[in-house]
Amino acid sequence: MARIRDKRKKAEIISLEQAVKTFMHDGIVCAFSGFTGFNRNPFAFAWETARQGVKNLHVLDRHGSQCTWLLNAVEAIKIFETNWMGWGEMAGKLDMNLQRNYKAGKMILEDYSHGATAMRFLAGAVGAPFIPYYAPLGSDLYNPKYDSLGKAGLRDGKNPRIAKKKFIQMEDPFYGDGDVILVPAARPELAIIHVAQCGEKGTARWRGVSTIDKEIAFASDKVIILAEEVVSEAELRKTPEANQIPFFTVDAIVECPWGAFPSSVPFYYDYDAPFMREMDKASRTPEDIKKWLDEWVFGPANWEDFVIKLGAKRLLDLKADSVSGYSSRMLRGKVPPPRMTLPLSVIRSGY
Amino acid sequence: MAKKNMEQLMGLIDKMPTVPAKVGEFILMELMAIAVAREVRNDDIVFAGTGLPMVGIMAANLLDTPNATLIYESGICDGKTMHVPLSVGDQRAANLSSTLGGLVDTFGYYLQQGFVSLGFLGGAAIDKYGGVNVTSIGDYFSPSHRFTGSGGNSDIGTMARRTAFIILQEKRRFLERNEYTTTPGWWCWDFKTNEWKPKREVWKNTPYASSGPVAVVTNMGVYRFDENGEIYLETVHPGVTVAQVKENCGFDLNVSLVKGETLAPNYKELFVLREFVDPELIFLPQKVEYTKAIQSIIDAG
Repeated sequence: MARIRDKRKKAEIISLEQAVKTFMHDGIVCAFSGFTGFNRNPFAFAWETARQGVKNLHVLDRHGSQCTWLLNAVEAIKIFETNWMGWGEMAGKLDMNLQRNYKAGKMILEDYSHGATAMRFLAGAVGAPFIPYYAPLGSDLYNPKYDSLGKAGLRDGKNPRIAKKKFIQMEDPFYGDGDVILVPAARPELAIIHVAQCGEKGTARWRGVSTIDKEIAFASDKVIILAEEVVSEAELRKTPEANQIPFFTVDAIVECPWGAFPSSVPFYYDYDAPFMREMDKASRTPEDIKKWLDEWVFGPANWEDFVIKLGAKRLLDLKADSVSGYSSRMLRGKVPPPRMTLPLSVIRSGY
Repeated sequence: MAKKNMEQLMGLIDKMPTVPAKVGEFILMELMAIAVAREVRNDDIVFAGTGLPMVGIMAANLLDTPNATLIYESGICDGKTMHVPLSVGDQRAANLSSTLGGLVDTFGYYLQQGFVSLGFLGGAAIDKYGGVNVTSIGDYFSPSHRFTGSGGNSDIGTMARRTAFIILQEKRRFLERNEYTTTPGWWCWDFKTNEWKPKREVWKNTPYASSGPVAVVTNMGVYRFDENGEIYLETVHPGVTVAQVKENCGFDLNVSLVKGETLAPNYKELFVLREFVDPELIFLPQKVEYTKAIQSIIDAG
């Protein structure tokens, strides 16, 4: 949201417990980083949120993830405004926790499309109130009857983070290029972003895909960076073109190694497909999910204890190699991955 | 025989016969993946979804369309993959890519800007005009089944120049009209006038008015669309009859244009799928033994 700031931010390095305690509260509108359940999900933050019992969350996000899976497991999400309610793609597509809560009437789902969500965050990031986007005209996504937040009476303008309309369809008034859909900017209160490295002032860097993390950071009022490593700000500034988040957007920094497990942090560690399949299995019944939560969420004394519980063998298997950025030892299917020196497509036809 | 390394196996690709394999020598998913691969043209920029679409597109890239460019929605432009990604956000998909960005790049700069010539996607149900439902069955607000929802399906499925879908064929999934249309096909609702209209009219004057579905691959056959945008059966997979297809379709399917059987994958295609696209047995979970003739080519190589 565009807002003139009279006071500039100063990022503080704090603990995971402190970060959740300070920045999360009942009913908060928040967004998480990464891509589905596979890439840079701030899982440790969601894990601590579940432990501290924060409820009635309004998650406004690019799609489901490890974070939403866990928060749905503890019934902490009240409103989920997104475009894809899955979390693990090929390791457990549908979020069974979400399915259960939704069918029981415990939560509201608002559907957009992936592109529209990206555009909503782009508008939020650049301080625009809305943005036109073409797709998909004629889809029930933009059927006036299917407005979940409207149906729940939440588009009354009382909550400044919920738009008064889900969308507006209008004809392009400038060039006459047919009808477009105007979608409202995304304006979360808090962005929770897991990165590879963060300087002590807040300049942050990741490798691999960006998804919409920079847009999330700028669209939100407050930003928490969780980093595999907090490093020297000066070192990050030697190659500034590799940094994505400018320090002045950041409110707090948490150093949290393995904090995106079981998703991946490219060049640090891979996603844990077997662990995700176990999570999916546990989410099939309320009894099993309770057991899983007791063991993995409420059992460990703190995040470090959780990582210790994972065991050295698992962490060794997941460790990414420094050339490809992913693990060449992890068993993902039925057979270990073959060693390759160059992709076949390049060998056969160049680039 | 000692197990061959990848470089040795690469040298064998062009020695593999390009005659179709026989029923029993491949699994259905291999046939479907290769049917996907055949939709790709060498100059395509392809935006593919996770799962069999991605496997098929990767196979195409290693076979007859090496110049096809692969876009993955997490922000990846032209990844040259060594190991099959489990998600479009997998670092494996980003290997040796041209540039890496994010969703604004892929949905805005590439897709809405009009660069994408082929979108390949999955779906839970489809209507007779190629409209796809990946959202819900039953009443939208209290559905009997709730699926994941659009993701990139509706964006890619309406703005790519050509789109193709891979869908499991059942009577309840092939419908006259979807209960919820996530991705409109050649006919869709005009919510301004509350009329069911050709997509061309609803999308009139936009750059995407003539973009839409061109093919559907199921576990039973391959489908195309006629001038009116209506789906018709083009080929049935080996061992499947037209009558069986009709039994597994919820509307009166046009079968007057059936050309015969879907061409089975050939030995070279199967070799590339098994040894290079998914040797970890993730998407293609079962590997049928090679015939004696093929195994002897491998052993001799």
